[in-house]
Amino acid sequence: MTYIENIFVCIAAPLIVTALCMGRKHYRVFFFCLAGMTACLLSAYINTFFARLYNADLINATTQIAPVVEEIMKLLPLLFYLLIFEPKPEKIDTAVLIVAASFATFENICYLTQNGASQLSFLLIRGFGTGAMHIICGAVVGYGLVYVWPRGWLRIAGTAGLLSAAIIFHAVYNLLIAYGGPVQYIAYALPVLTIVIRIGAGRLLRTEPQA
Amino acid sequence: MVELLDNASQFLVTLIAGVGAGILYYRSRRQEYFLLACFFATFSLGTLYWTLHVLLFFQTPQIFYVADLGWFASFLFLLTLQYALSTPGERAFKHSAMWLIPVVCVPQLVLYLTHGDILYNLLLCGMTMLAARYSVRGLLYARRQRGKQRDRQYFHIAVLLIIALEYGLWTTSCFWAGETLANPYFWIDFLLTASLFSLLPATRKAVGA
Repeated sequence: MTYIENIFVCIAAPLIVTALCMGRKHYRVFFFCLAGMTACLLSAYINTFFARLYNADLINATTQIAPVVEEIMKLLPLLFYLLIFEPKPEKIDTAVLIVAASFATFENICYLTQNGASQLSFLLIRGFGTGAMHIICGAVVGYGLVYVWPRGWLRIAGTAGLLSAAIIFHAVYNLLIAYGGPVQYIAYALPVLTIVIRIGAGRLLRTEPQA
Repeated sequence: MVELLDNASQFLVTLIAGVGAGILYYRSRRQEYFLLACFFATFSLGTLYWTLHVLLFFQTPQIFYVADLGWFASFLFLLTLQYALSTPGERAFKHSAMWLIPVVCVPQLVLYLTHGDILYNLLLCGMTMLAARYSVRGLLYARRQRGKQRDRQYFHIAVLLIIALEYGLWTTSCFWAGETLANPYFWIDFLLTASLFSLLPATRKAVGA
């Protein structure tokens, strides 16, 4: 059994102390860092709840429940930030990436506690694969929200579209990993492929749609 | 095998249509093409997950709503597209035929509620009913116009066709007749794939109107 709430306290405590030392100006960064880790902690509880509720085995829980729960949990602190503080667009993507990075870091710490740190090659794949996947999902949502949020006509459909894109990306990644064999190498290549698509999409979204 | 062929063809067709809509947006920068590209992108993403699950694990996803979220988002984009294409005159237009939508759809919704998840079915059927209502309104309004304005009717016909086929698909899935070509579910899904693609030229005509 892994006591993830104890790990959370252990990781969060120095961050809170550092935030207090650094002052109000830097609160935002630490807030999103803690929000990402809290989202990861709560995701673990909610994943377990739904897995029990639907009587899901490990593969079904990984490929169907976890992507939905984790991506929604990552989006919630950002929606709070967007709706309450109405930040400038340039602040949105930084917030999303910090949440995603801290989520991935906390998940990796829990993984290391559970499985040990003896196999460096596997941990490298895990770090660059799963870690990068969380960052990419965060980037998809982050850069997407920067584009979508200032455009009122696109806000609802756009947010739902970005969330569903992140969930499906995450689910496809988990699906390929769960299948194993040579197929899982396609999953490891997915984050890089997404960056290429992002560059292509960036050219398309450079100018404003005309009504 | 039929299920895989059905889903793979739907993924490819929606992907191609999405690329087509993206190219049209790149050339014209029209909001309508942007929304259409988003509609196809989210729809094809949902279908991609569904297809991969069938391909790798030989069964459709049974537990949670990953692909469904993509389709749900696609219908949100379709609703936004319908709104973007409508004129103030169309939005104010009323006709008693619009009441046909709940008359046809609500009994089927009751059937789905007895077979599946309550919240999911309420949300998806509510959204598709709204889209169908807008389409009936738009179709009747467009048929009263003259010249190019009349061309918008093709878009509304395509949307109505998609929604009618979606309902047919959901209803036949409640009475599953096995994974063979004799199952009407697959024929309806093949027709749905064709009607999804028809949305691309239909939107082009509507944007030009």
